[in-house]
Formats: sequence, C-alpha cells, structure tokens
Amino acid sequence: MTTTSAGPRRALVVRSVVVPVVLVAALLLLGHTLSITNVLTLEEVLGLAVFAAATNLLLGYGGLVSFGQAAFYGSGAYLVGLSWLHHWMPFWAAFVLTPVAGGVIALAMGAIALRTRRLYFALLTLAFSELFFQLVNVRYDFTKGATGIFSVSMIPASLASPRTGYYFTAGVACVSLLILWKVTVSPFGLVLRATRENRERAEALGVSVYRHQLLAFVISGAFCSLAGALFVVWGQSTYPDLLNWTTSGQPLFMAVIGGMFAFLGPAVGALLYQFGYQYVTQHSHDWQLILGAALLLVVLFRPDGLAGVVSRQTWARLSRFARRAGRRGLPPEREPAAMETPIDGAGEAARVPGSPTP
Amino acid sequence: MSGPLLELRDVSRRFGAFVAVDGVDLDVAAGSIHAVIGPNGAGKSTLFRLITGILRPSEGSIRFSGEDITGRRTHAIARRGLGQSFQITSLFPRLTALENVQAAIVTRRRRASDFATWFHWSTGSEALDLLNRVGLTGGAATPAQALSHGDQRALEVAVALATRPRMLLLDEPTAGMSPFETERMVELVGRIRSEEELTVLFSEHDMDVVFGISDRVTVMAEGRVIADGPAQQVRDDEAVMAVYLGSDE
Repeated sequence: MTTTSAGPRRALVVRSVVVPVVLVAALLLLGHTLSITNVLTLEEVLGLAVFAAATNLLLGYGGLVSFGQAAFYGSGAYLVGLSWLHHWMPFWAAFVLTPVAGGVIALAMGAIALRTRRLYFALLTLAFSELFFQLVNVRYDFTKGATGIFSVSMIPASLASPRTGYYFTAGVACVSLLILWKVTVSPFGLVLRATRENRERAEALGVSVYRHQLLAFVISGAFCSLAGALFVVWGQSTYPDLLNWTTSGQPLFMAVIGGMFAFLGPAVGALLYQFGYQYVTQHSHDWQLILGAALLLVVLFRPDGLAGVVSRQTWARLSRFARRAGRRGLPPEREPAAMETPIDGAGEAARVPGSPTP
Repeated sequence: MSGPLLELRDVSRRFGAFVAVDGVDLDVAAGSIHAVIGPNGAGKSTLFRLITGILRPSEGSIRFSGEDITGRRTHAIARRGLGQSFQITSLFPRLTALENVQAAIVTRRRRASDFATWFHWSTGSEALDLLNRVGLTGGAATPAQALSHGDQRALEVAVALATRPRMLLLDEPTAGMSPFETERMVELVGRIRSEEELTVLFSEHDMDVVFGISDRVTVMAEGRVIADGPAQQVRDDEAVMAVYLGSDE
C-alpha cells in the first residue's frame, strides 16, 4: 500500500520547492520596496533567523536546552572583528571560516557538556559561554575589552551599502536555512527527534545518542557562528555583549514565540521579536516587561508557539471543509497526515498516559 | 549452531543490600521461544535490563552468540542483533507510527548520521511493509502516543523487527492488554518466529500465553531460577505450582 506515504511525499516535494521559492521572491521584493530603515531591520532579522533556527536544531529537534549559544554567535562576530583589527586575513576568508570555528568550539563544548543532562547541561553550556565573555572583557589589548570593535571598514565597501548588505545577508540566510532544513528531513534529523522523544529507546535501537547529539551541537554551533558573522555585516561592530548570556536567551525566546516544532517557527519568531522590539521601544521603555508577558502567555497557552496556532487552525479548517465536501457526496479530502509538519502534537506528550517522561 | 545463542552464567545484580537478581544461569537456544515467568518482584525485568545493557551486572557474565557482552553499552549490544521491546511502552511518542519504524530502519542501516537523503525516501516501502505485518497500516501517520495500547505494543514489535535482530527480547508483551489484544499479540509472536526463524525471549504473567507458545520456560522467584526446562515439564513442576498457588494467584 502506498497511499499512506504518497500524500506526505507529495507534500514534502511541494514544500521543498514552493516554500523556498516564495521565500526568496518575497525577500527580493522586500529588498526593493521597503524603506532603508526597514531593510536594515529585516537584514538583522535574517541573521537572527539563522541564529534561532540553528539553536532550534538543538531545542526543538534535539530537546536540548543550551544556554551557551552566545559563545558561537559571539565568536563568529569576533573572528571577523579580530581578523580586521589584527590584519589576520581579509574579510571574506574570515567570513568563510566562521562556521568552521563555531563547529570546533561546539565540538569542545559539547564533548563535555553533553555528558550531563538537562539542568546540568544547560548550566555547563552557560558556564562555557560566560568563560568566553569574561576572556573577551578582560583582554583589552587583544579584543578592545568592553569597548568592542567598531568600524565601517570592517566589512568590504561592497557590503557597506544597506541594500547590497541586505541582499548578501538574505542570500546567506536562505542557503543556511535550506541546509538546516535539509538536516531536519534527513535520516539524521529523524533520529535526532527520536533521541529527544525517548533516549533509552534510541540507544536500544543502536543509536549512540551522545555522538548524535554532539553532531547536532556542532552543526548548530557552525550556523550560530555564521549568524554572528552576519551580525557584523549588519552592525559593523562586535562587542562583549554578543557573548553574554542574554544573547543566548534571544534565539530561545524567538524559537518559543515562533514555535519550536515547526522548522520556520524560530525564523518567524525572529521577525516578531525584532519588529516587536522596534515598535515597542519607540512607544515605551517596557520592552522587557512586554517580552516577558508575551513569553508567559505563549508558554502557558501555546507551548508550540505561533506555528502551532497556524497549523492547528489550518488543520481544523481543512477537516471541516473535508467533512462538508463528504456530505455533498464529493470524494473527501485526504486528512492532512500528521507527518506533514516536522513535529506534531507538541506539548501533548505530558498528557498522554504511557508516554515516558524523558 | 552449537552452543546457546544467549548464555548467562551466575549473573547477579544488587541494589544496595537488596539482591534483585541472584546467581542466574540461563541458556537460550537459537530458534526457540523461551519464556521467563515468575511472580511480581521475581527479578524478570531486572534480568532483561541486564541482558540489554541498561543495567550492569554486579557479578557474572553474559554471552551473546559466543561473544562476551557483559557490561557493554546498550547500543553496542543492540547492534549485535539483540532487538527488544520494553515492559513500559517505549516508543517515540510524538513521532508517527511510520517514523518510529523509519528511525529503527535508518539506524540498522548505519545511516543515522546521513544528511544527504530524505528519510521518507530512503526507508522506502520497508517501513510500510513492517507496519503491514503487525497490522498497523491504517495508523501509519498517527503519532505513536495517539494509538491504542494494543496498537502501541504491536508498533513496538514492528520497531524491534525493523532492527532485523537475531533475537527478540519482549518484556511482558501482553501487559495491560485486553483478551482480544493478547490473542493478537500471541498470534503475532508465533507468526514472526515461523517467518523469521527468530529466537524470542520473553517475560510474561499470563500462563495461558506462556504455555501456548513457548518451547522452554524458566521460572524465577526472589531473584533466583527455581525451575528451567521444556514447557510441559515446568508446568507440572511442584516448586512452580507452590510459587504460583502460594503467593501470586
């Protein structure tokens, strides 16, 4: 029988072609039409979208809460910044090297932190990133300490104009998101979700969970670091706060708001977060308060974030339509298979009897 | 094959002062259906956890297919061909039934770290065939947590089979099942054995199930083996009857 798999397969083909094409077209169009201010905000959003999506590979797909993502983000930014400051290498060489550097740092950090679970894992990752933060702060001669590195000439002149900078960032972000998405629909991604669901069972199947999580950690670190380099393209600066724990919180917030169980959820979260920040800070001083309240509401009422709201409504509408079509004697629409979204039934595990506590 | 497929020698496991498994010897012949029975707290589940490497024995040795696997990690033991299902339903709850099987297939093929393919494609029809064989075709796209209890246990068997094990370890496969579901499970295990020439080691409470399908039965009580032999012989054993009549049932 192939009917059960034909639907999802077709949906997968449609999604893997249609979504990227629409996304790229929309980003090109927006680059032409938006005001410079908004183009710059969108450019920042795209960098953060990569940061959030890469973090969500651990959070949503791997079930790993890392509070040390800033270590990768900041070191990506600092690799570009320090290369300029100390004339190590041209911008492009540094830019290309950032994912490598991020991956190496993630390998070292993950090799130790992944030997622990949950709270201890989160605390170890936090400790690592604070180590980087302190190092950068203290070594003024080398890093310019708390002052940070600021200069328009950090990036090539060709990227300094806002619109070319935007197009470059959009290109890198789209390719990065496409690669990350591919990771999630590969056998690796499937097994990563399996380790999140039931670590013991995955081990019993023959998966080395430690190795698998370490690999996810390295991929995440590489793309977080690249996102840090995109930050330099946007901001032409790098400073210690990029390595601070508050920076680690950002992609987690974005993933939660946008929905960590849908691939583009964190990217949408980045959009909401950044434009929300811009809007709120124009009208009041209470950004943290509003962010906190928003997070509270999401966590309490919609643990699967905005993406969960959208997919559930669409699902309900589709099935209502199918039922009505069925009553008119038309062939009913096939129910959207649960497989069509990367992860389903988010937040429900705890309520179903027999689902093991991870 | 000459010696037994699975061989336990003097295996013990202590938790502090409590001896959960006490000097157990067990031989499971290749191609047989072997049952481990005993009242609650007899140490059956602990024994299974020792065999699969979830727990390490305090003493003794475990050999699988002639190779010493004592104290090996769970995934290393699984790769040698020891497939298992658990007493507490143990699936990937938010993955669909199909994905549960697919995860097992890609792992068996050593493709768990493959980024290049799409898992829906690379697992092809094999995953669906397995669901078919355990009677779960209709539920392929249902998240495992939304399946009925009986279907979840059937899915577990499909997941275990997807690893193409040489030996299947089933810890209380009919626990919590309705009589109808139990019958279905018994029929399934019997069919799998004849189709795959699999060795099956299972623990069980339900005596009808045990004597209906097993070739050999080992009886445990208080961590020790109190009887071991062909099903018929064990059924008439006095010590066994004492254990069952005296305490449990």
